[in-house]
Amino acid sequence: MEGSLLSLLIFTPGATALVLLLLVPREAERAHRWVSLLASLATLGLALAAWSRFDAADPSFQLVETRTWLPQLGIAYRLGMDGIALVLVLLTALLQPLVFISSWSSITSKVKGYVVSMLLLETGVLGAFLATDLFLFYVFWELMLVPMYFIIGVWGGERRIYAAVKFVLFTLAGSLLMLVGILYLGYLAHAQTGAWSFAFDDMRRLAIPMGEGFWHSPQLLLFAAFALAFSVKVPVFPLHTWLPDAHVEAPTGGSVILAGILLKLGTFGLLRFNRTLFPQAWERATPLFLTLAVIAIIYGALVSWAQKDIKKLVAYSSVSHMGFIILGMFAGTVASTQGALLQMVNHGLSTGALFMLVGMIYDRRHTRLIEDYGGLAKVMPLYTGAFLLATLSSIGLPGLNGFVGEFLILTGAFAATPTAVILGATGIVLGAIYMLSLVERVFWNELRHDENRNLADMSAREVLAFAPLAVFMVWIGVSPGTFLGLSEAAVRALVGG
Amino acid sequence: LSVSPSDLTAVLPELVLVAVGCVLVLLDAFAPSLRPRFAPLTVLAVAAAAVLRWVTPLSGAVWSASLTVDAMARFVDTYVLLAVLFAAGMADPYLVRTRARLGEFHALLLWAAVGAMVMAKADHFLLVFLGLELLSICLYALNAFHRDNNLSLEAGWKYLVVGAFASALLLFGIALVYGATGTFSLSGLTEAPIGRQAPNDVLLAAGIALLLAGLGFKLALVPFHPWAPDVYQGSPTPVTAFLSVAPKGVALVVLARLVAFAAPEALSSGWTVLLAAIAVASMTLGNLVAIAQREIKRMLAYSGIAHMGYALVGVVAFGMDGLTGVLIYLAAYTFMNVAAFTVVSAFSEREDEPHLLTDLAGQGWDRPVLSFVLALALLSLAGIPPTVGFVGKFLVFRAAVNQGMVWLAVVGVLNSLVSVFYYVRVIYYLYMKPLPKRVPAFSEPWPARLVAVVCAVAIVVLGVLPGWLMSAAEAAARTLAR
Repeated sequence: MEGSLLSLLIFTPGATALVLLLLVPREAERAHRWVSLLASLATLGLALAAWSRFDAADPSFQLVETRTWLPQLGIAYRLGMDGIALVLVLLTALLQPLVFISSWSSITSKVKGYVVSMLLLETGVLGAFLATDLFLFYVFWELMLVPMYFIIGVWGGERRIYAAVKFVLFTLAGSLLMLVGILYLGYLAHAQTGAWSFAFDDMRRLAIPMGEGFWHSPQLLLFAAFALAFSVKVPVFPLHTWLPDAHVEAPTGGSVILAGILLKLGTFGLLRFNRTLFPQAWERATPLFLTLAVIAIIYGALVSWAQKDIKKLVAYSSVSHMGFIILGMFAGTVASTQGALLQMVNHGLSTGALFMLVGMIYDRRHTRLIEDYGGLAKVMPLYTGAFLLATLSSIGLPGLNGFVGEFLILTGAFAATPTAVILGATGIVLGAIYMLSLVERVFWNELRHDENRNLADMSAREVLAFAPLAVFMVWIGVSPGTFLGLSEAAVRALVGG
Repeated sequence: LSVSPSDLTAVLPELVLVAVGCVLVLLDAFAPSLRPRFAPLTVLAVAAAAVLRWVTPLSGAVWSASLTVDAMARFVDTYVLLAVLFAAGMADPYLVRTRARLGEFHALLLWAAVGAMVMAKADHFLLVFLGLELLSICLYALNAFHRDNNLSLEAGWKYLVVGAFASALLLFGIALVYGATGTFSLSGLTEAPIGRQAPNDVLLAAGIALLLAGLGFKLALVPFHPWAPDVYQGSPTPVTAFLSVAPKGVALVVLARLVAFAAPEALSSGWTVLLAAIAVASMTLGNLVAIAQREIKRMLAYSGIAHMGYALVGVVAFGMDGLTGVLIYLAAYTFMNVAAFTVVSAFSEREDEPHLLTDLAGQGWDRPVLSFVLALALLSLAGIPPTVGFVGKFLVFRAAVNQGMVWLAVVGVLNSLVSVFYYVRVIYYLYMKPLPKRVPAFSEPWPARLVAVVCAVAIVVLGVLPGWLMSAAEAAARTLAR
């Protein structure tokens, strides 16, 4: 039990999904909802157990598990958790039950398929965060693809098919080249050590030649192959075009998971693999990524500003926010990297909350157009408060979580790249403009539409889904040290400072 | 020719299949009331042959060294027998439904298997040819089994003409190779005086090129592929399932033998480039044209062309890695293709109508088990983990990378990306397209379901735990790789 805590954590949702899939008839919708919720809560419990056993002062992988799998190829079932993974695992485990609660009544058709897809997806995500063997990582990484395809394609909005196929093709286009990269790393490991291995710790020790130029430089090519896979996921400008489609068309739960967790896999991957395995190529690519990050911050903010659809606005704001995270990671100081990591969590909380809230109002009015609302504060005070909190968290009001993350990124990065920071900081201003004007147009002003006069405020279930997010927004804002401390040792070891 | 007891025990599985085939034909003529028992009898015979193959010792060279019963032969035999088992399992309900439950069907299937098995373990060019002919002639009849159906007749006719052409090429190739080396033995090629006399080299090169073309037809590699879509579409679906796996598998093994034994001297880098070019062309053309297909069996035919391209990547890379990869790829391909065709057969209303993608609309929620199997098989064909299809692709691409052919692996993965588009489209029809309510004309009986479920389980289990399959494939590959 003690020795396989991480396995238990990863496979609790997946095993539950299989049991539901094979044994529980689809008519038993209540059973599906309850069992999936309980499984995700159990996963949260296991994640907390992993946290309690975690030694934050130790930067190496902890709770390590190793089992033989394909010894001929040097592939083993290797799991381990460092501080960076821990933070993201906790975020994942927290969001999943909230997603089930929030979609309790909004998903009414094919409930079985929905919860099974969600649980399989969670297994894929947790596995990708915790795998320390590149083959195993790739398996988990791709495992996420199909459930998400189904979630968007079956329960999504009008243009769901287009969005789902685009999501699959974009994601795969990146990750298949990463597969070749992984194979090449395996080949290098054999050439340099004489033994086949796909273990991350063995890869870390390789000397990957830089070579001349781009096409003859193994390290740059490998960096590119991995970075492409992760950049699509983040998404880094200009690979972001799948994101608005997927986020807008996905059902609420799908959007929350996509924005809250799946995007983080991209930034996590860059940090875990690109930064560690290809340090020289990372240096070389820094100016490029800083430029793209700044473009993403400003472009995403401007496009958000122009949206008429609330969900699209939130979706494009993700492009901008993820730009900040990229900026922090590539600026490369301990503070900026810590900030980027914290901002991953913050974005998961605030954007997850915003998508959830947009979903609630969509369930009531079946429209997401800003112009169909106005003056909602008069009829839905509780909802207005919740939305305002999520907005303020998203735009970085001091005292809430977003502020800490952005502040750390900008101060940490200033010494390294003042220009990027100055340009990026305008994104914060733009963010405040578009988010607050959204709030103004939706909640203040006159109550223009009669349909909105009798809207019900948040139900107890909806409050339950939102409240934990609110707690963490405030908690991180007031006492960021609790969370920064978890990853500090790992980040210091990674960045070297 | 003196026959020793070990010669006989070595071919016991084949003897069982031939004998049972003969019995079935006789019973069909004299005791037609026993027809419902034919399928179980076939399954029993195949199972007995498989058990015999695994309990009798690997005797090595037998029948005056014209057959080699080694780990490779055992692997390929198991593979062929599995394909027959599946085909027989899904065929019986299908034959009942199409009013074609005749004894010849099972007998021809068994004899075709014997042909494939002989071909796979032949170390003598003429036995390769004989095995191929036995396999092909049985398949001509099976393709055209629906005598009243024009598509089926077209399939049989087309396979006959193209098959005869391929056989002629193969035979001519054999003659030239014999002329150049003075030996009919494949393994003897290693000792043949190649590269010493100029005219012999030209003869040998021409001979090997012809052999390659002949095998290329059987593998449906580009540019020898155009027969595949029509034959796949027109043949009875269980036959298509068998046809899409067994002949391809053995042809690939013969090709691997040829490369292994002729490689050091004759197969210079030019041949590697040629094989790589064929692989790239097959992958690319197969996948691109599959996108345009609206008929599932045709789509799977083009996907099959692409898949043999992937498998050929393993042959190009060669060595232990490459050969193991090829063998695992073949095993994977069997499970996923058979699963796909079983479900396609179950979903089709009538055989003389095309199997349109649009007919699948909404079936996912109406017939969950079979749809799930089809979706899983397609994801496996697309190479998405954790399926056995991913393991196969991983291994052949790994072999290419380890041989310094990263570009080939890159072409391969880009092709996988293209293929995902049309595989995922089928899943779109199954689960995301609202259906014009269509009540299935019949419910598929348990044997077909069983075949589908067994394949699905194999796809996942071997995808997660490929260790056992890996060991078997490695043992087989060791017989050829240096």
